[in-house]
Amino acid sequence: MASRLWGSRAASYLRISIKPSFNFYRPFSSVLKDLKYADTHEWVKVDGSSATVGITDHAQDHLGDVVYVELPEVGATVTKGDSFGAVESVKATSDVNSPVSGKVVEVNGELSSSPGLVNASPYEEGWIIKVEMSDPGEVSSLMGADQYTQFCEEEDNKH
Amino acid sequence: MNNRFPGLINSRRFKNTGFQAISKFQAGYQTQYLQVATRASFTERRNFQVSQLGAKSLLPRSPVADENSDNFQGMRSKRTLEIWKMGIVNYLDALKLQEKLASKRKLGVITDTLLSLQHPPTYTLGKRRTYHNLLIPESELSAMGANLHYTERGGDITFHGPRQAILYPILSLREAGLGARKYVENLEATMVRLSSLYNVKVHAGESGQTGVWVGERKIGAIGVRISSGITSHGLAFNIDPDLSFFKHIVPCGITDKGVTSLRMEAEMELPEDEVIHEQLVSCFTQLFGYEHVVWKDRSFFP
Repeated sequence: MASRLWGSRAASYLRISIKPSFNFYRPFSSVLKDLKYADTHEWVKVDGSSATVGITDHAQDHLGDVVYVELPEVGATVTKGDSFGAVESVKATSDVNSPVSGKVVEVNGELSSSPGLVNASPYEEGWIIKVEMSDPGEVSSLMGADQYTQFCEEEDNKH
Repeated sequence: MNNRFPGLINSRRFKNTGFQAISKFQAGYQTQYLQVATRASFTERRNFQVSQLGAKSLLPRSPVADENSDNFQGMRSKRTLEIWKMGIVNYLDALKLQEKLASKRKLGVITDTLLSLQHPPTYTLGKRRTYHNLLIPESELSAMGANLHYTERGGDITFHGPRQAILYPILSLREAGLGARKYVENLEATMVRLSSLYNVKVHAGESGQTGVWVGERKIGAIGVRISSGITSHGLAFNIDPDLSFFKHIVPCGITDKGVTSLRMEAEMELPEDEVIHEQLVSCFTQLFGYEHVVWKDRSFFP
């Protein structure tokens, strides 16, 4: 909130007009405490060397109703930061990136018949892939819940 | 407008960044930017022949002004759009160009770019490969003079052809502060605004029916791909294409609705396609809030 006030003060000093934001300021989307987050809005749940990956509540909200999820093959390799699949919503396909590197051991087949699970339950039933991590240390470079919440707020307040 | 610039020009941010990066662009772009700068407080600069100004004479050049440096990023906060006017372009050529531009945009080497063009008769399928919505065998397509292409965009099967205005924005959604849904809504609003210039009553589709409609007939379609936050593909607006091509598909997978065009819906004479393209681009730049706009004629696209 403080950054918004500063932003509008700076804008009026420089005499730039602020466009009203299209979205109402909505309270931050749900963020779960024990997950890690990437800045491309994917979450990862670590369990030893195995990781479950999905997209966050913030992401599904900005996408709209998901109508199709493109899943990778079981056994495919994923690399941190690279895309492994895509979700389609409102005539837009958006790539989904993996927050960790490793091998895909399981994909959520439910999403082929019920892609809306990504919207309804992004952290639970809407999980997308399970990865056997090749480098568990990568997780430490991801954001925690509080950091991610702040990241989302900053992104939403940009305009 | 004039009052805003002194504050910006005298700021350290402007002095240290923007200008060096501009020298990377062609003279046309550089000229435009300098015009804006000289429109600031000092009247005597207004008549300055901009083409006589070299970058060296105004500001010192940084010794390492490479394209990926932070200096370049500072320029982008001014929301610049580069528009390519391209004429009729083969679908595959346009696809390759978009991929090239999208990877450049991702690296931050270029600014937001908009391609304004038309295609020869082409059917395209989206990522879901809804092949069943093509109602005739593929072999008959070449007899009609049409092609079929598979793409990674969202959306179902559609037809592109001459006299259909196409816009392919290559934007960074993150810098624009837009999510996929909001971006698509803005594309719909662009076509709605253009149609209202011709007093055609259009509305954006309800949920599941993205696009722009006149009653039960679709006048504008959207299919977008977002990869690493960069958009490609975009919108297609029917000015006066040959609508009989649409009979051979279930357009966008929606069975009980028809297709229409601006020519059929508008009760006034339409100007040349080029004018309508420019109006469509204007609606786009207004809705997306671009402050600087640079037009490039790319009709001799190799």
